Amino acid sequence: MSARPLDGLRVLDFTHVLAGPFATRILADMGADVVKVNSQERALATNSPDSPYYVMWNRNKRALALDMKNDAAVALCRRLCATADVVIENFAVGVLDRWGIGYGQVSPGNPGVIYAQMSGMGEGGPWSGFVTYAPTIHALTGLTHLTGVPGREDIGIGYSYNDHQAGLHGAVAILAALEARHRTGRGQQVDLSQFEVGVNFLGPSLLDWFANGRAARPTGNDLPYDPAAPHGVYPCLPEGEGIVGERWLAIACMTDAQWRALRGLLGEPGWASDPALDQAAGRAAASASLDSKLAEWTRTQHAAELMACCQAAGVPAGVVQDGIDLAERDPQLRHSGFMQPIDDPGLPIGQTYADRLPLHFERTPCNEYRRVRQLGEDNAAVLRDWLGMSEDETRRGEADGVLR
Amino acid sequence: MPESALTGVRVLDLTDERAIYGAKLLADLGADVVRPEPPGGDPLRQRGPRADGDGASLWHAFFASSRRFFAADAGNAADRERLQRLLDHADIVLSCDGNFALQAIDIEAARARRPDLVHVVVSSFGDDGPWADLLAPDLVAGALGGAVAATGTPETTPLKNFGELNFMVSGAYAAIAALGALRHARATGEGQRVTVPVHECIASCLEQVLMLNWYGERMGRGRVQPRQGGTHWSMAFTVMPAADGAIMVTPAPDFDAQLIWLIEEEAHQDLLDPQYGEPENQPLLVGRMMQVLRDWVATQNPEELFFRAQARHAPYGWVQPIERLADNPQLAARDWWVPYTIDGRAVRGPGAPYRFSATPWQHRDPQALNADADAILSELGWEDRR
Repeated sequence: MSARPLDGLRVLDFTHVLAGPFATRILADMGADVVKVNSQERALATNSPDSPYYVMWNRNKRALALDMKNDAAVALCRRLCATADVVIENFAVGVLDRWGIGYGQVSPGNPGVIYAQMSGMGEGGPWSGFVTYAPTIHALTGLTHLTGVPGREDIGIGYSYNDHQAGLHGAVAILAALEARHRTGRGQQVDLSQFEVGVNFLGPSLLDWFANGRAARPTGNDLPYDPAAPHGVYPCLPEGEGIVGERWLAIACMTDAQWRALRGLLGEPGWASDPALDQAAGRAAASASLDSKLAEWTRTQHAAELMACCQAAGVPAGVVQDGIDLAERDPQLRHSGFMQPIDDPGLPIGQTYADRLPLHFERTPCNEYRRVRQLGEDNAAVLRDWLGMSEDETRRGEADGVLR
Repeated sequence: MPESALTGVRVLDLTDERAIYGAKLLADLGADVVRPEPPGGDPLRQRGPRADGDGASLWHAFFASSRRFFAADAGNAADRERLQRLLDHADIVLSCDGNFALQAIDIEAARARRPDLVHVVVSSFGDDGPWADLLAPDLVAGALGGAVAATGTPETTPLKNFGELNFMVSGAYAAIAALGALRHARATGEGQRVTVPVHECIASCLEQVLMLNWYGERMGRGRVQPRQGGTHWSMAFTVMPAADGAIMVTPAPDFDAQLIWLIEEEAHQDLLDPQYGEPENQPLLVGRMMQVLRDWVATQNPEELFFRAQARHAPYGWVQPIERLADNPQLAARDWWVPYTIDGRAVRGPGAPYRFSATPWQHRDPQALNADADAILSELGWEDRR
């Protein structure tokens, strides 16, 4: 097995649902020894290894079961914290302090520890106790208000974008803190607010509000500030029933040259030769009529064929792909082996799959994808590797209800 | 000023929209990030919104924060040598195909001289493959990557996310690639090239999309969730119109608590009908409860309802318009905003996505083009060389 970028890094993972587990999934894919702490009591719904949702975000991690209501489990947990490089959690404020493993309690004995907290609202402030999921964060940050069409401010993003991004930013923060530790020898605490991650994405629009007093509003598929047209999603021949059978093609003319190329594909119709359309600003002003003309043209064509035809002419275009397209039709993802079955099924839910880390390291490839582990499946191995405990001790802990 | 997490790390930023956010993450964490520009200036300085109509680009102020800029003419031998020397002093190079400086420098030759150099290459589809040469601005990248199909309502077309959120995913991944490779280089002295295809980055961050493709049938549902506006794939979170505006409402994670609240409000309608208590009727209960909630929420002020819900630990979220963030009490209490200088004017701007207890995140205003050239040249020892 070749080296991976985070070989040897010990991560004690108390996260659940999506944002936190996505952060540690990235660290695990890059070779870190991520020990996911769970318990019989908490292993329900999205926190159960039988749940497809859990399976998505928890591959490549080892599973340790600790019943934190048990004093002996709490004591073991403190010893694990003392030897961890990274402790990461997204519990409500104060839970880990009560267990005696808050940052102030762990860092004196382990000054190199990087202690990452990924809460909805961050530590402190009047909203710090608020309960949030990604749809909550999208609503509060303005992402929901702005992702939609003019006059419709209740649509928003159709998946938990901000959870993934909070995970990515958690990984960035931990890796940056590792670099700081390399230089100074000291660890530190990282406080990530999922709300602040999300507000940050609206940076240019926030500056527009403060500098110009202009409040952003939804713009459909147009760019909010720069003239680019045509720039939209256009209907093609359906390939099945209902919404899932619809076929759409995104076309985005970012330059005048791309528009001229598109005009050529359209067969140079009279309406397109209007000199007002030669420059982006003129096209953007006429975008509604351009969009309907273009839709007339696309409506009778096959999306994938039209995409190929546009791209061959130098016009940016792409089929609006759904999950089945990504898995079965996308020749690029097939070429790169982006999706793969995991060899060792070993789970009640049957065969599982991995979408590979989208980072291709030339010298330290991250090609190992191990299945999600059952509750407590790695108790003995983890406690041996991290604490030097014997298998007998582990089995006693399991029998005593400490490790469950 | 205290050191930041990446103080002393030198980065050469040759990115475009697809990865500039990654270079920003490194720069705001304290790395010394130099961004060369062609003689006519970085085309991204034209991106809107702009201050006062045609003033400084606010887009550029945000995405090119905390950098040092350096003008160079790829056709000029002395400038080419300067770019090459910048490269020779970097720990990390972030590049996107098409950057003007790539004609002037030889990164592979630099790697041969400097085996610890990290080169992160962000491209639309990766180094090779059938789509390697396709054009994919954010809308097209989001369409092919699977993001667009998941967003929108049955009445609208599929929709892109506001702005360029897809490229902020590839940008964040680029920063992870750079720092992961840097850690390996610190430990072993071995640098490397890391390829980051935007297409795969987007496809990896779609929550239910790949899950339903693989496991949807085992979950008793389809492999694709058709776009359904503000309703989460689980059906338990949805955006509802309120008396003035909208609010994201959910009975999760505690359906009983939601039911009790509705009873207190005398808004529960027929939810106490015994049929909804049967375990096999759980989906029926969720569906009916969402209808009942919709009727009730339509009469409520969304901002007030949000605070009442959160007081009961219910994860509702008021759909805030962006201008309301300006006086948001949580951001104010955490002293989140930072001062930007735009065309010489002080303007409030967005703060950090994370806080470090020992090595603070720090926003630095971008300088005028070439304001830093002398400093950069002297730090590289170019004066001494004469």
